[in-house]
Amino acid sequence: MKPLDEATLIPSHMPTTNRPSNMGASVNDNASRLDAVPKVTGSAKYGKDYHLPNSLYIVFIRCPWGAADFVSADEAAAKATPGVVEMQVRGKSCTYHGQSIGYIAADSPRAAKRALRALAPKWKRTPVKTQISDTVKDNPDIGDDGQNNMNGAEVTHEAVYTTPVQTHSSLETHGGAVDHRGDRATVYASTQGTSSSRDGLGGPLGLGQGDFELVCEYVGGGFGSKLGGPGKELTTAAQLAAKYKRPAYMFCNRSEEHLDTGNRPSSRTLARIGFKKDGSPVGGEIRTWGGTGVAGGGGGASIPSGRYKLGEIKKLHDDVSFNGGGPRAFRAPGHPQAAFAEELMLDEVAAKLGMDPLALRMKLAGGEHRKMFEAGAKLIGWSNRKPNGSQNSALRTGYGAGAAGWGSAGPGGAAEVVIARDGSVESRTGTQDIGTGQRTGMGIVTADALGIPLKYVSVKIGRSTLPPGPGSGGSVTTPTTAPTMTAVAKAAKTQLLELLATQANAKPDEFSIKDGVVLRNGEKYLTWEEACGKLPNDGITANKGKGERGDGHSNGVQFVKLDVDTETGVIHLRHVVAIQSCGRVICRKTAESQIIGGVIQGLSFALFENKLLDRNTGAMVNDNFESYKILGPGDMPHIEPVLWSKGQSGFKALGEPPTIPTAGATACALFNAIGRPVRDLPLTPDKVLAALAAGQGGAA
Amino acid sequence: MACEDGRAMEVRLTLNGKPVRVEVDPRERLLDTLRYRLGLTGSKEGCGEGECGACTVLMDGVPANSCLVLTAQCRGRSVRTIESVDAKALGPMLASGATQCGACTPGVVMTALWVKENPGLRDSHTLRELMAGNLCRCTGYDGIIDGLHAWVESDARSGGAA
Repeated sequence: MKPLDEATLIPSHMPTTNRPSNMGASVNDNASRLDAVPKVTGSAKYGKDYHLPNSLYIVFIRCPWGAADFVSADEAAAKATPGVVEMQVRGKSCTYHGQSIGYIAADSPRAAKRALRALAPKWKRTPVKTQISDTVKDNPDIGDDGQNNMNGAEVTHEAVYTTPVQTHSSLETHGGAVDHRGDRATVYASTQGTSSSRDGLGGPLGLGQGDFELVCEYVGGGFGSKLGGPGKELTTAAQLAAKYKRPAYMFCNRSEEHLDTGNRPSSRTLARIGFKKDGSPVGGEIRTWGGTGVAGGGGGASIPSGRYKLGEIKKLHDDVSFNGGGPRAFRAPGHPQAAFAEELMLDEVAAKLGMDPLALRMKLAGGEHRKMFEAGAKLIGWSNRKPNGSQNSALRTGYGAGAAGWGSAGPGGAAEVVIARDGSVESRTGTQDIGTGQRTGMGIVTADALGIPLKYVSVKIGRSTLPPGPGSGGSVTTPTTAPTMTAVAKAAKTQLLELLATQANAKPDEFSIKDGVVLRNGEKYLTWEEACGKLPNDGITANKGKGERGDGHSNGVQFVKLDVDTETGVIHLRHVVAIQSCGRVICRKTAESQIIGGVIQGLSFALFENKLLDRNTGAMVNDNFESYKILGPGDMPHIEPVLWSKGQSGFKALGEPPTIPTAGATACALFNAIGRPVRDLPLTPDKVLAALAAGQGGAA
Repeated sequence: MACEDGRAMEVRLTLNGKPVRVEVDPRERLLDTLRYRLGLTGSKEGCGEGECGACTVLMDGVPANSCLVLTAQCRGRSVRTIESVDAKALGPMLASGATQCGACTPGVVMTALWVKENPGLRDSHTLRELMAGNLCRCTGYDGIIDGLHAWVESDARSGGAA
């Protein structure tokens, strides 16, 4: 019997093992992840998996309200709980739900939790603000600059676009385990920065950097939230491990993860913009407000994105604080919010101009984006798109598009390649793999530079004792490490060939290596293993080499096709085409997976995710995975990642750009289907139905 | 994870095909027994309330969130964890890009194993419906569904030829 996938509304899929369109696009089209076996069989050890004998377990004492003054707690009862080793309560006024006022350390997780219950802190709630609109209630008048920019406009558009707070929701939460042995320590961390975490731990551990090792061979996701040093969870564990000279363990639970480990800040965008009737941009004013909770750091400020010509724009931005946990970097910080506003704004302008929104984009976008839009339009079937709001059926289909771009980085970091006499090769760099495929990428570039099959190469990463590599932020990891590793591997190859030449009394340039065979003047000379057998006992170690920078932007476009059930307001995602350039692609499958992963986080942001704070108490009401909904298998459309390899060279960014345009393109597709814009994420059924009702009422 | 108040209870179960006897706190979750007491850390805790599926094990052959099961409930039952799975048998799941960070992956594989071992399920449910109890933040599920599709198909093909 045929699997039902093919017969139902859920689209069929093109197998990831065989995407013909992307074949030939990468250095290695067929490699699977080097760490697939340990991950798939559960033998991969994450920081959270290090339950060390005799460990202390730590819980934080947290404020349950958006704003409250600490009154009292039953510290005696908590301390009397069997198994409690230490407690610290720093009574104070708190300004967000989940703010820590101390910790309890105990011999077991259960003892720590029981002590927390016995402590029973009492609080006096104080008034809260929970969102941008508690502070920004009205639209300020347009400034003189903005007004002047709009001179000569024949069609104008003014609208407010808003997005909610999104949490990173990594499956492995924040924290670490510390094994302190007095004069030495090993730290098992869940971090995006092996080096920066190590740098922050010497003090808490009471040890010099040479006396401890930080290990994060596997990291269960981060998406930006695990940057910037060891964090308070790991720091507290380190301090207590040092004090008691025994292991200590602290990891957040899911609620704490939502509350206090960062987020993508909310945004409000007020756009006032003018165009000529032919779609030429005139200019205007764009004001943004970033909902930063108790900290700073913008939100949705990246508009105008620069990907579209919009004329002269006066840009203003303000951070707005309220009683919520502060933001942290989250996969393309500021961009998905901005792209939501910018893309939907363009579709609304196109509707006023009576233009096809893709035609307007072709007029406003740069050369590479235009070529991508042309290609994507064919793949999604844009010619089947019906004019906005022209459908009357219960189920209506919509098409939307959006664009992405990201700058380049690198090269940098340090790397080491060791060739052993048995032919095995080890490439080493301290940087971490948070799921991007870093380990696999390092193996592939090493094998490619040496001219040997991947099976000879093993990769060591994620340890502070290895040559230091970059933190995983800004999509720089691969653009930084891949050129360096390539250059170091080439240096190792040069050493090997020079040695063979000396032994053969020949010139080094007579030798080369291809597909695991050493050639002399183009003829087979030795197998790889035979050649390595001629090495001295210690083999070859290379650690010097300067790689080449991959210049230019990682551009991309995405198209979304969806159906809207106008009776229920539910959106069914049907098809996403995601075209993305990233320079020279290293591994086809991991690159495709990165693109698809960026798209799903964008779709999840578009349709579901919303950190909801109770407007009276400031407490987060959905601090779990039940009512903080992230996209599941059944919500997924067919996603078609296209690796844009035309004219690409150098290693460039890939992690962040694929999540930028998705929510905007989804909102445009909804606008196309129902003829009314929904300018507030997430695009939930209530808002869809309200938009439809407003349309029937004939409101403007 | 000792039983602080001395209320230990003995539980005998079959774990990964072998008889096991553990002394546990009556309130102890199966996930904690596996991870803390037995050192089987392949089962992950993603949410602790049965939403994400990262801690999925098979109880008498049926997927269960081990964060929602008391070890005491496993008395006389057969529990299978990711540690029992042979990598060699997972070919298509390894090749399809079914994993990125890997934290959800052991749970995904246990549900996939249930789907593979019960072909009748696919008569009435899509693969995406059957996998709906497992959340993944990285891959977008395409690799997971593709890998599972190829895995069950390879089974059907070899079965047909026999």
